[in-house]
Amino acid sequence: MKVNNRLKWFSIGLLTTWLVIFVLFPNLMVIAVSFMTPDLRELIRPEFSVEGYLRLLDPLYLDVLIHSLYLAGFATLLCLLVGYPAAWIIAHTSKRMQAFLLFLIIVPFWTNSLIRTYAMKVILGNRGIVNKTLMEIGLIDSPIRMLYNESAVIMALVYILLPFMILPLYSSIEKLPRNYLEAAKDLGSGPLRTFRTIVWPLTLPGVISGCLLVFLPALGMFYIADLLGGAGNLLIGNIIRDQILVTRNWPFGAALSVTLIAMMAVMLWAYHRALKAMQGGQGR
Amino acid sequence: MIRPLKLGFMALLFFYLYLPIAVLVANAFNSTRSGNRWGGFTAKWFDAMWANSGLMEAAVNSLTVAVVAATVATLIGTLAAVALYRYRFRGKLALNGMLFVVMTSPDIVMAVSLLALFVSLGISLGFWSLLAAHITFCLPFVVVSVYSRLSGFDRSVIEAARDLGASEGRILRQIILPMAMPAVLAGWLLSFTLSLDDVIISSFVTGPSYEILPIKIFSMVKVGVTPAVNALATLMLLLSLVMVAISQFLLKQKHPS
Amino acid sequence: MMTFKHWLTAALLSTVSAAAVADNDVIYFYNWSEYIPEGLMQEFEQETGIRVIYTTYDSNEAMYAKLKLTGSEGYDIVVPSTYYIAKMADEGMLKPLDKSLLTNLAHLDPALMDKEYDPGNTYSLPYIWGATGIGVNTDEVDIDEITSWKDLWSPQWRGELMLMNDPREVFHMALRILGYSTNSRNPHEIEEAYQLLTQLMPNALTFNSDNPGAPFAAGDTILGMIWNGSAYEAQKEDPAINMVYPKEGAIFWMDNLAIPAGAKNVEAAHKLIDFLLRPEIAAKVCEEIGYPTPNKTAKGLLDKAFAENPMVFPPAEVIEAGEFQSDVGEAVEIYDGYWQRLRTGR
Repeated sequence: MKVNNRLKWFSIGLLTTWLVIFVLFPNLMVIAVSFMTPDLRELIRPEFSVEGYLRLLDPLYLDVLIHSLYLAGFATLLCLLVGYPAAWIIAHTSKRMQAFLLFLIIVPFWTNSLIRTYAMKVILGNRGIVNKTLMEIGLIDSPIRMLYNESAVIMALVYILLPFMILPLYSSIEKLPRNYLEAAKDLGSGPLRTFRTIVWPLTLPGVISGCLLVFLPALGMFYIADLLGGAGNLLIGNIIRDQILVTRNWPFGAALSVTLIAMMAVMLWAYHRALKAMQGGQGR
Repeated sequence: MIRPLKLGFMALLFFYLYLPIAVLVANAFNSTRSGNRWGGFTAKWFDAMWANSGLMEAAVNSLTVAVVAATVATLIGTLAAVALYRYRFRGKLALNGMLFVVMTSPDIVMAVSLLALFVSLGISLGFWSLLAAHITFCLPFVVVSVYSRLSGFDRSVIEAARDLGASEGRILRQIILPMAMPAVLAGWLLSFTLSLDDVIISSFVTGPSYEILPIKIFSMVKVGVTPAVNALATLMLLLSLVMVAISQFLLKQKHPS
Repeated sequence: MMTFKHWLTAALLSTVSAAAVADNDVIYFYNWSEYIPEGLMQEFEQETGIRVIYTTYDSNEAMYAKLKLTGSEGYDIVVPSTYYIAKMADEGMLKPLDKSLLTNLAHLDPALMDKEYDPGNTYSLPYIWGATGIGVNTDEVDIDEITSWKDLWSPQWRGELMLMNDPREVFHMALRILGYSTNSRNPHEIEEAYQLLTQLMPNALTFNSDNPGAPFAAGDTILGMIWNGSAYEAQKEDPAINMVYPKEGAIFWMDNLAIPAGAKNVEAAHKLIDFLLRPEIAAKVCEEIGYPTPNKTAKGLLDKAFAENPMVFPPAEVIEAGEFQSDVGEAVEIYDGYWQRLRTGR
């Protein structure tokens, strides 16, 4: 049994060491830095300060943060509105078709997201293909501005993140027990009511994990705001990046990161609750 | 009524997902520089791409990091998944929790935390810092992929082997690893793509000595229209398609029995 | 399994050895975007056998922060603007140049040397200078109506303007409108300029210091700030794009070759600087990227029509009306503080 033990401790030890050094320790450092004082020459001074967090409440930054939450939130909502029916349709086709459609959804995800964002920029420009087509078919006379505004950022976020919404939704819809739906129908429940009382609660974990996988990354995708957003459409990621890599206010950048982690914790908690509620419901 | 509606919806969805890619690929062969109108077929942007030594060097660097990071992550991740599957131990929950946190935490947060780590330890930003970062974000995906395949198997095979006197090492080599192999390869491929695609973390943790594709492309794209990027994107798309096909094939393979 | 292990070891070893060989024949050049013509670095490589790793930045602030992060290591040549030369030299981030290694020093225009930001050119030598004015798409905007920086404040340009991603350049407009110097160190003047700029922000469409001509050439913006070289490039793509030198005066800036304190390959860095100072090379840079050269001899080598293009070489009266950016000392931080608020705010 010696071999057994050595292999066991080696494998577990390797992973644990790695995670402690590269995940646990750095994250603790970020939390520590967020409570320190910025220093122009030395980066940070080890003096306790909540300046970084107070700055979050500065009306200027608060306004930008709220706008960033709005951009990411709106993109998440759109992903859900498009992704839910899409996942539903996919889950209700034949097995072969399901595999094929999922494949089509995943292929763009395997292409470099930066390049796809750039592609978005190419088609949305004043002389891009969308404006050109609209003008050619006579819908508009002069190009509409689609670049450098918030709709450009939202459209690109949806474009990049949609697969992350569809996949968890699909897997929770696919698992829906068909007999529940039929039973509900037999008992005279209308489609809306069935959806509200059965389908939605049972797919809620999928909805939440989809939102988690879209909303949080969306807040960080600074390159999308850089390429398409123009003035005044920053994401939290842009502010973090600028604080860390340009203006060198690490405590503020760290405080923003900690805020993101806190948001993640809240969403994970909600996910956990939904999952539990669902399992409890099924058990009864 | 419902059917055409569904069809129309899906068609629109795929149009939205594929139009930008189609425009990119078309522009890779479009002789006009700005790409706003079709100027005739050309392969000159591919020549421009090969001739751009900075871009090519970044591509080689990217591939190197992706291969090494995916391989190391796969080795560590597979061993860990096997351990998680085979053994019970204290702290298993904490370990699972940490893996989950890595998977869900936004890239930007991981980027900041890793940069803080490297700066405080005085590790210069370059190949090694980049590699460590990429291994870290690939790791949980390998563990999950391998673990979920293993948990779909019947444990009695292992019990039987042990009853017949097989050593632990032999069980690992002859039973567990062959069973896990498709997931191991799929985990490698996923890691490889994740590594190749990462912009956010890499732009924090790499330094002057080691420029990789996403960073290079980002600075090129910010400057304006660069058809060589379209050519490169087309090649990368082709590469990804091949990889997707391989991984799908691997995942669909029947259990070896 | 064995072959796989061998392969992995080989891969690891090859990357390690690649990193080890790198030292003497490689040089890291950190420069502004669009500042070196295509193929020029290859020419240097063929001539000297020194490989150039070329990376770019889009603002002095980003370059400065990067060097701070790496402890001034990792790069062998950087190209800060005048006032950042002063700041970085002051903070010990630059290495004094060894003039004995620079054979082409005499070709530089003495009028652009030995300025207050770097007396005696201890740390830096001018690489490129240029002007920031107003870029206009003449198909959409009547160029005769744009004569002043003040015109950008007009409410009709709401959400239309291209602005530089650079505090000093954006502040220049407001300072000059208010009748102050672009090199003001007076906190009150700077604050007044900040107040004026807050009124400009609703007109901003995007900030771009990578290639300000690109949004013009793509038709995404019709009016805003532009560098003369970038305007020259954009005009090649779309003849409708032109440039105005505003009556309050254009901004003149200069970017300078310097060697960071932590540079590993100082000798090669001098070689590359000397290469760039060579008249034929300086002339080539000037002709291809469209910015004026501080190299006097090189100017004589230029094509006549090109040398007389007012977009590339601002006429004497324009230079007279404008102002050269120079060191503002500690006030850089005041500008940065306000800039962050302008840039972040909505």
